[in-house]
Parts: sequence; structure tokens; C-alpha cells
Amino acid sequence: MSEETIYQRLEKNGVSRRDFLKLCGTLVGAMGLTVPPLESSGLPGHLLTEDQTIRKVAQALESKARIPVIWLEFQDCAGCSEALTRSQSPTLIDLVLNTISVEYHETLTAAAGHQTEENKQSIMKQYAGQYVLVVEGSIPMALGGAYCTIGGRSAIDILEEAAAGAAAIISTGNCAAFGGLPKANPNPTDAKGVWELITDKPVVNIPGCPAIPEVFTGTLAHFVIFGALPELDDLNRPVTFYGKTIHDRCLRRPFYEAGKFANTFDDEGAKQGWCLYKLGCKGPTTHNACATIKWDAGLSFPVQSGHPCLGCSEPDFWDGGGFYQGQSAPLNRPAATAVGAAIGAGAVVGAAMAANNSAQKKRAAQASEE
Amino acid sequence: MNWTTFLHFTRGPLFQVSLLIFVGGMAYRLVRVVLLGWKGDKAPAKGSKLAGVAKTYLKGFLIFPFIPWVKRTFNRNPIMYLAGGLFHLGLFAAILLGTPHMLVWKSLLGFGWPTLPLPIVDWLAAASIAAMIALLFYRRTNSLLKLLTGPAETLNWLLVFLPMVTGYIMTHHLFFQYEVLFSLHMLSVDVLLIWIPLSRISHFMFYFFSRTIHGVEFGKRGVTP
Ligand code: HEM
Ligand code: HEM
Ligand code: SF4
Ligand code: SF4
Repeated sequence: MSEETIYQRLEKNGVSRRDFLKLCGTLVGAMGLTVPPLESSGLPGHLLTEDQTIRKVAQALESKARIPVIWLEFQDCAGCSEALTRSQSPTLIDLVLNTISVEYHETLTAAAGHQTEENKQSIMKQYAGQYVLVVEGSIPMALGGAYCTIGGRSAIDILEEAAAGAAAIISTGNCAAFGGLPKANPNPTDAKGVWELITDKPVVNIPGCPAIPEVFTGTLAHFVIFGALPELDDLNRPVTFYGKTIHDRCLRRPFYEAGKFANTFDDEGAKQGWCLYKLGCKGPTTHNACATIKWDAGLSFPVQSGHPCLGCSEPDFWDGGGFYQGQSAPLNRPAATAVGAAIGAGAVVGAAMAANNSAQKKRAAQASEE
Repeated sequence: MNWTTFLHFTRGPLFQVSLLIFVGGMAYRLVRVVLLGWKGDKAPAKGSKLAGVAKTYLKGFLIFPFIPWVKRTFNRNPIMYLAGGLFHLGLFAAILLGTPHMLVWKSLLGFGWPTLPLPIVDWLAAASIAAMIALLFYRRTNSLLKLLTGPAETLNWLLVFLPMVTGYIMTHHLFFQYEVLFSLHMLSVDVLLIWIPLSRISHFMFYFFSRTIHGVEFGKRGVTP
């Protein structure tokens, strides 16, 4: 079965050639591909058109055996899986989840208990060094990992075992990438993102809360099709999707420049669609594809529908200042007592110095009188 | 350590510490100045002290060079005069009337105010930066000013210049990612906050002292400036 190519499997499932090529087109779009990644295919760049890109993808799917995916969940809410399965790009998601193929998924797998665990063990053996490991949720390190155990084993134990045989790891969602909600101050479980723990394998981060389904699938498809990971930024996020900020692509940007802001959620500015900066928008520092790919098949995204960006694709966004507090405002106000203490200390030291000086002056004056 | 965590640090704990040092330092300076004491007033006043103070301030605010007495200062040193004024104008426009800065005040004071459109603040900021460069150049070339410029003066200039340029570059999304420049902007602001009480930039407070005291003296003697 491992020799069966992706295309053969699709054919068996009743996908026509025509539909297959359409799918390839969708994939090209999903990967945010135009030309660059194909340069490694040896063709001179200027010869590559989108048509040729689609043909390249088709060729890859026709010749490559499918790559199994093992999907682990740790300290998560399953929201990323949920977003994927409820995505409005069904053909694409179906292709990626079923055909390219998720072999083990804690929530989606029908079987349960020791049976699935055994299944996972045998996949890890059979495809050692080839499978893609997807992680959703953060890994707690406190109390020897006791905050999250599955089948009596700690998350870190399970992760290390699965990572050892993986060709690449994809961390989906802010939790797996950067620790997410569980890591929020005071981080009681000492939650960590995968890339802090696994350093000897390529780890791609697809942060978001949840990760945008098309971004996740696009990245996974890229690996499956080209056998390599896309270009990553300094936080290991694919540049294609995370290269620009929300602010860079925001439809409210002209209002930012003009200084027209909504001051509350129901004032005239809000009705006019003005910029949400004063309502706490984190768009200027948030790298993600929401403003272009959007949600629900391109219907809308938070800023478009009137809610400030929370910054969910950035590390520690839960601790990055109040969600409804302007982004330039300090992370928290110094306590009034601290300010009072500082003023008091300054004043006392100043007064003491002054007293000391005048005492000295008096002494000097006395000395000269004598 | 990535830029986002560094930004959180410079906007969070470091900013708080800098702010407390600034507040404490200014309180110290204020107390020292106040306790220097005012010499007892033995001579009878020849004029109204209040009028003297009012006139001194009026003159201070009338910075237009077409007024005769201002013209004298202006003609003596037009570059310094214009550049100095332009620099302060741009500085205040940015830190009081720029939207991101107003939000800083709002979070600290609890109330906000209307702000100027970005392009206006931006042009004033650019003018302010240009003026700063002119001021530095002048300090470096004028033979008298050269004598008055030590390391402290150069540092004053630099530590005000850094937040100005990082802010400007950030607004225009040039060269680096936004959060990198935001971090550097905050870092330079934090350093400036610590430096102000230690330096002559504290003149923003003492300026009013010296004006008031001069005004009182002038008024008392009946010599309106
Ligand atoms: C807590 C303190 C401060 C914060 C949080 C802050 C934040 C910001 C932000 C977010 C911007 C960019 C606005 C944009 O992208 O459109 C900015 C711009 C700027 N900042 Fe600050 N800033 C602070 C203090 C200062 C100080 C003390 C100075 C000057 C000494 C300064 C000078 C500037 C300038 C000149 C600009 C560019 C304005 C323009 O070109 O429109 N900032 N600042
Ligand atoms: C009410 C507020 C302020 C007033 C009335 C004021 C007034 C003045 C005056 C009269 C001068 C010229 C005197 C001299 O050359 O030494 C000056 C210079 C200067 N001020 Fe201010 N200032 C104020 C606030 C500030 C602030 C908040 C900053 C910086 C954060 C600042 C930075 C400077 C610098 C760097 C110079 C020296 C310029 C040079 O000659 O190189 N000032 N100020
Ligand atoms: S990133 Fe958000 S949606 Fe995804 S698992 Fe974590 S909390 Fe849930
Ligand atoms: S709404 Fe947010 S992302 Fe859009 S322009 Fe305003 S600050 Fe930038």
C-alpha cells in the first residue's frame, strides 16, 4: 500500500482527471505558490507560469507515495482541528486530511484506547523517518509533565518518541507553536511550544488561535508535494503566509493614516468602518494571512467585521497588553503606590542632601566668622 | 529571545522601571531646587511681581521674529533660533498629538484627547529631525558653541534623537520589521526617561522656574523686559 501514489489513491476514490487538475490548481493557490519554490525543480524561473506550476504539482502527486501524518494533541482545546474540519474549503481539506493522510489523530480517529496506540506505534515503525508529525497544544513541563498525560504517559514523553522518527514537525496553533493560552501569565504548568523542546528536527510554526485552515493545509501540502519545507521567518513561520502584517494589508489602513478612529464599538467611527487602533488593534505587529485569505471561504476576518486584531499569531499574545487597550500603551500601569514611593524617595533624598548642604554652609560660615 | 518578547520587555518591566526612575529623579531635582531657597525680600517692590511674571511668559511664547525685541535674538542667531523652535514644535506635536502617544498618556493619566492626522504629525516629526541635525551641525562648527559642547551635551542630543528617528522609521515601515523598530523605539525611550533627571533635558520643568523667578525679579524692580 505504501507504493500507491497520491493520484492513484484519488482515482480509486472516484476523482476524475479533470477534478484532479482542478485540485492541483487549488493546491497551488493554497500554498501561496506562484513561481519561486519551483526554481529548485531546475526549470529557469522565467519559463514557469502558473500553468506549469499546476503541472508540476500534478506530476508530484502522480509520482509520490502518500505521506502519513501523525497528529498529537496536548494542552489544547481542539480548536485548530475543529477549524480544519469546519473549514469552508472542503475539497482541499478533504484531500489533505483523508488522502495525504492522517493516520493517527486523537480526536478524529474513530477507534480508541490501546488499539489506536498500537496502530500509531506500527505507523511510526513502518514510516520511520518519513512521516509528518503535527502537534496541537502546548507541552507542560512542571511536575515532570504530570499536567497532561495520555495513556499514563506524559506529553513530553509522547512528543519525544514521535518526534524521533518524524521527517518534519508542524506545530499548529499558538499553543503548540509558542505555548498559547496555557502559557499565559503565570503559566502554572510551565507550558512550552514544540520548537523550544525539539531542536534536532525541522519544526514549522503555524500560529494562530486557531491556525487558519488554509495556511495549515497549504504548508502541509507544500511538504508533501515538494518534499521540503517552505521558506521560514525567524519564528519558523512560512514567509508566504506570515511575511506581512495585518496592518500591511488592512482595509481600514487609510483611516489609520488619516487619523480617523473608532473610539467605542458603537460610535460614528465604528459605523463608518474607521481604524480600530484605539480599541486595541494589534494589527501593526501581527504577522498572519487573515487580511488576505480571511475566514469562511474569504468571507471576512475580525478587523473587517469590526473587532480589533488580538495578535493571535505572535508569541505570548495573551500577555501583550489588554485586548481592548491601544497597542502603544504600556503593558501595565505602574501601581500608584510605586509612583508615590518613587516620588517620596526622590523627595526625601533631595531634602536630606539639601539639609546636609545647608548644615555644611552654616558650619563654613561659622568657621569664617571665628 | 525573539523581537516580540523583547518588545514586551521594553514596553513592560523596563518601561515601568524607567518611569519610576524618571519620576523619582525629577522629584529629587525639584526638591533640591526648591530647598535652595529664595533669598528674603528686603527691598520694597517697585512694580507688580505678577505683571512681571505675565510679561516674561508672554515674551517667552511670542517666538515670532517680527516683534522688535525678538528680532534681536533672532538676528544674532537665526539658525539656532528657528531650528530650536521647530525641533520643540515637532517634538510636542508628536508626543502630545500623535495617536499612539496620546494612548500612552491615556493609559497613565486615565483620560485622552483628540489627536492630529498622521501626515501632519509626520511632517512635523520630519522637520523636527531635520532641525536636530542642523542644531548638531551648528554645535560642531560654531567656535563658541564648540566650547560649550561636552560629552553631556552630545549625549543629550543623541538620546533625544534616537526615539525621534526610530519613531519616524517605524511609522514609515522602513528597513526592518515593525516590531523590531517598535522595540528599539521603546528601548530608546526607556533610556531617555532614565537620562532626563540626570541631565539638562530636565529643563522642561526648570524652564518654568527660571522664567517665573526672572519675571518676579523684573516685576519687582519695575524693569519690564
Ligand atoms: C512610552 C512611550 C512611547 C511609545 C509607546 C511610543 C510609541 C510610538 C509608536 C507606536 C509610533 C509609531 C506610530 C505609527 O506606526 O504610525 C511612534 C512614533 C513616533 N514616536 Fe513614539 N512612543 C513613545 C515615546 C516617544 C518619545 C519620548 C519620543 C520623542 C522623544 C517619540 C517620538 C516619536 C516620533 C518622532 C514618532 C514618529 C511620528 C511620525 O513620523 O508620525 N516617541 N511612537
Ligand atoms: C515646556 C517644555 C520645554 C521648554 C519650554 C523648552 C525650552 C528650551 C529652550 C529655551 C532651549 C534652548 C536653550 C539651550 O539651547 O540650552 C531648549 C533646548 C533643548 N531642549 Fe527643550 N524645552 C522644553 C522641553 C523639552 C523636552 C521635553 C525635550 C526632550 C525630550 C527637550 C530637548 C531639548 C534639547 C535636546 C535642547 C538642546 C538643543 C540644542 O541646542 O542642541 N526640550 N529647550
Ligand atoms: S491555538 Fe487556540 S484554537 Fe488552537 S488549540 Fe490553542 S487555544 Fe485552541
Ligand atoms: S484596524 Fe488595526 S490593522 Fe487595520 S489599520 Fe487600524 S491598526 Fe492597522
